[in-house]
Amino acid sequence: MTNTNLHDTSRLNTQKLPAAQKSRREFFKKSAAISVSAVAALSVLDPVKVLADDKAITHHAPWGQHWGDPITKNLYGVPSLYEHNVTRRYTKLLASGNYRAAIAVSPIQDIEGIITPNGLFFSRSHGGTAHIDPNKFRLMIHGLVKKPIVLTLKQLKRYPSVTRTHFLECPANGGQEWRATQYNSLQFAKGFMSCAQWTGVYIKTILKDLGLKPQAKWMLSEGSDNSEMGRTVPIDKVLDDAMIVWGQNGEALRPEQGYPVRLLLPGWEGNLCVKWLKRLEFASEPWYAKEETSKYTALKPTGKAVQHFYANEVNSTVTSPSPEIPWTDLKDGDLIEIEGLAWSGMGTITAVDLSFDGGKNFKKAKLKGLVLPKCWTRWSYMHKYKKGKTLLLTSRAMDDAGYIQPTIDQETSVMGVESVYHRNAIETWEVAKTGEVNHVQIRS
Amino acid sequence: MFKYDRKIIFCSIVFLISSAVLFAKKGEYIPSAVGTIDSHPTIDGGVYHPVKDSKTGPYRINEKTLKGGYKFGRKPTKNELKAWDTDIMADGTGLPDGSGTVEDGEELYEAQCVSCHGDFGSGGGGYPALSKGNAYTQQKSLKNQRNKPDADGPVRVFGSYWPQASTLWWYIRDGMPHTRSKTLKDDEVYALVAYILNINEIKIDGKLVDDEYELTKDKFLKIKMPNADGFEPKIEGKGSLERVRKYYKNPKNFGAIKVAYAKRCMKNCQKKSAKIVGVRNGGISDFHPPLSNKKDKLSVKSSKLDVKKIYKDSCAMCHTDDSMGAPVAGKKADWEAKKKNGGIKGIYKRGIKGLNVMPPKGGAGISDDEFKKVVDYMINLK
Repeated sequence: MTNTNLHDTSRLNTQKLPAAQKSRREFFKKSAAISVSAVAALSVLDPVKVLADDKAITHHAPWGQHWGDPITKNLYGVPSLYEHNVTRRYTKLLASGNYRAAIAVSPIQDIEGIITPNGLFFSRSHGGTAHIDPNKFRLMIHGLVKKPIVLTLKQLKRYPSVTRTHFLECPANGGQEWRATQYNSLQFAKGFMSCAQWTGVYIKTILKDLGLKPQAKWMLSEGSDNSEMGRTVPIDKVLDDAMIVWGQNGEALRPEQGYPVRLLLPGWEGNLCVKWLKRLEFASEPWYAKEETSKYTALKPTGKAVQHFYANEVNSTVTSPSPEIPWTDLKDGDLIEIEGLAWSGMGTITAVDLSFDGGKNFKKAKLKGLVLPKCWTRWSYMHKYKKGKTLLLTSRAMDDAGYIQPTIDQETSVMGVESVYHRNAIETWEVAKTGEVNHVQIRS
Repeated sequence: MFKYDRKIIFCSIVFLISSAVLFAKKGEYIPSAVGTIDSHPTIDGGVYHPVKDSKTGPYRINEKTLKGGYKFGRKPTKNELKAWDTDIMADGTGLPDGSGTVEDGEELYEAQCVSCHGDFGSGGGGYPALSKGNAYTQQKSLKNQRNKPDADGPVRVFGSYWPQASTLWWYIRDGMPHTRSKTLKDDEVYALVAYILNINEIKIDGKLVDDEYELTKDKFLKIKMPNADGFEPKIEGKGSLERVRKYYKNPKNFGAIKVAYAKRCMKNCQKKSAKIVGVRNGGISDFHPPLSNKKDKLSVKSSKLDVKKIYKDSCAMCHTDDSMGAPVAGKKADWEAKKKNGGIKGIYKRGIKGLNVMPPKGGAGISDDEFKKVVDYMINLK
C-alpha cells in the first residue's frame, strides 16, 4: 500500500491542488508588493541601490517542483543538456575528403583543471575510428627479442599497472599559424591536445622477461586500423617511460583513443602514440613508415627537414580570457583571475611569466594545483581589470630541462614558416577596450 | 650507465639545493633545476627521472614490479608471424617478389585511386597529391618559403620529398585504397608504384620510368629518391642513436631556446620594430559545430533520416558525375542499367556490401533500411 502512495505522481501535479497553488501565488504577490515599496523607500536615500527582484530567486524553479529522472535513466551518465556547446569541433581545412583522415579538436576554453573528460579528448585518425572486438585483440611483440610473445587483452592487463597523468598533443597544434594568425579561437589555435590519467604497463616491464637483444635500437609500433598506422620509436624511449595503455581517466580507452590498447610515449607527438595497437617489432635499423616522412617532419629554410622530431616542446596559453569566453561582462575595477595552461614534453613546468604588453615586459605568474612531468599545468595571475584599456596578454613557460618558449621571431629565424609541426612560440590575446578578445601575433 | 646517471643526478640535486639556499630571498620560490641541472639528458633533449627511494619523479612505485618474472602469453606461430610481420624496410627487407607495368598501374589508378588523388596524382578533395611533375626539379623547391603573399611554397609530394620508396610500396599495400585497404595483390602494388614513379618522372639506375616501364623487385631496390638526403638527424646505419641524441642536445637544431631561470628576459624583451598582426581576412571560421559559449538547452532533433545530407556527405563525391564510372545521381538510364543485375534489390545489396572502391553503404553509418532510402533518393535526386 505504501508503495502505491509513493508512486502516485498525481500528488506532484499542482494543477490538482488549486488551493495550495492559489495561496502560494497570493503570497508572492504580497511579497512582491512589499519589496517594491521597500525599494521605493530606499531609493529616496540612495538611488544606486535600486534592485529589481530576481525571478530565479523569487519564483519556484520547475525542477524544484517536479520529480527528477529516476536513477534508472542514463546508466552511463551524459552531460547536462545545457552543456552541448562544450564539444569537440572540426573544420574542413583539417580533413581529407570524408573526415576519415582528419582531426576534431578539444574545447580547451571550457575544460577545468588538468584532466580532459574522455568525450572531449581531441581525436585524430588516419583511416577513421576503428571499432575493435576486445575478444579478438592480440598484441604481438617480436623481432630482436629472445622470446617473442602474443598476448590477449586479459593477459596484457595481468602485468603490474602504472597510472600516470600526461598530456597528449598533435605536433600540428598551432601549426596553421606559422605565417599569420588564422583562428580567432582558442579551441582551434591550441586545442590539438588533451590531458588524461592513463593506466597501462611500462614496455620495459614486459621486455624484462622477453630479453631485448643488444642489437635492438628501434621499435616499430603498428596499429590494426584501416591505415595500419605505424611509427618507429628509438630504444631510449622504450626503456624510459613508454607505456602500453588500456585505461583513460578510470575507464577503458575510448574507440577514438585506440580502444582497447594504444601506445603512450609521454610528452612525444600524439601520432607516435599509435592507437588500436597490434604489433611491436624490434630491429637494428629504423623503419620508414608513411606518417613519419610524408607527414610529421619539419621542413627548414635550408631545405632539410627534421625527422623523428619526438617531444612536444615547452608551451603555454592563456585559457581565461579567450576569444570564446571574453571579458565583456567585467566592470571597471573588478579583480579577475587570468588563468592558463602550460605543458612540456621534455620535463616539468617550472615557471610561467605573463606579459600585458605582448611580450615586452613579463611578470611572474603562479603555478597551481598538481605540477607533474609531461602534464598540463595550471597557472594563475590576479589582475585588477581596467575597462577601456587594451591589453596584449602573452604567456611564456619554462621547463626543468631548461627550455623557455621562443618568440615568434626567434622560432621562425631557425624553422622558417614551412615546418607545419612543433610550433611553440609565445602567443598573444588582444583584450580590446570592450573586453572582447582577439588572437593576434607580435612580429618584428 | 645507470649508476653513472644516478651519480650525476644526485650531485646536481645537491648542487641545486645548496644554490637554492644561497640565492633564495625572503621566502621567494625559486624553481629547482631550471637551466642549471647537468643531468643525463634524454634522446629528445628532455630530462630523465631515475627510480630512487621507491619514487620516479613525483610518483611512488612498487619496486618489486620492476624485477620481472612474468609468464603471460605465448610464442607466436610461424604462420602468425608471416601474417603480421609484413612491414617493408628501406633496404627491401620484407618486400615480396613480383612485378607490374606502368600501363597496368595507370588502369588500376583510374579505377581505384583517381577519385581521391585526382588526375595524374594531382590531388584534390582534401586528399594528398602524389605528384607535381618532375621530382628532381620539384625537390629543389624545398628551400622555398611562403613568407610573401606571391611566393611559391615547397612541394612536398612523394617524388620530391619522401626519402624512401619502400614507404610507398608498404603504405599502398596496407592502407590503400583508403575505402577498402589490404585488397590489392602484390603485382597490383608493383604496378601502382610503377605508375606513381612514372608520373613523378623518377629514374631508376639512370633509366626513366617511362610509359613502357615494367617494375620488378630488383629494379625497385635500386631506386634512390631525389630527397633521400633531405632529413636530419640521420637515423640509419652505425651510431644512429648517438647522432639523434647529439642532435637534440643542441636547441639551435630545432628552433628551441634554453636559458637559466634567473637570466630569462623580464623587461624590454622586444625589438622596436615589433608589430601587432591580427587575423587576416577574417581568418578561418568554418567550424563545426559553430563556436558558441551559450548555455542553452539542446533541442533534441527529430531522428528523421536526412537523406540529402547523407547523400552529400557520403555519396556525392563519386556519384555527382560519371568521372568515376559510378551511376550518376538523378540519371535514370545509369540506374536502369544497374538494375539489369538483380533489379533494385541487387543495387541495394551491392551498395550495402560495398563495390570496387565504394565502402559498405558509402561509409555512412546508417542501417540497411536507411541506406535503401538514400539510394532511392539518389536515383531520382528528389
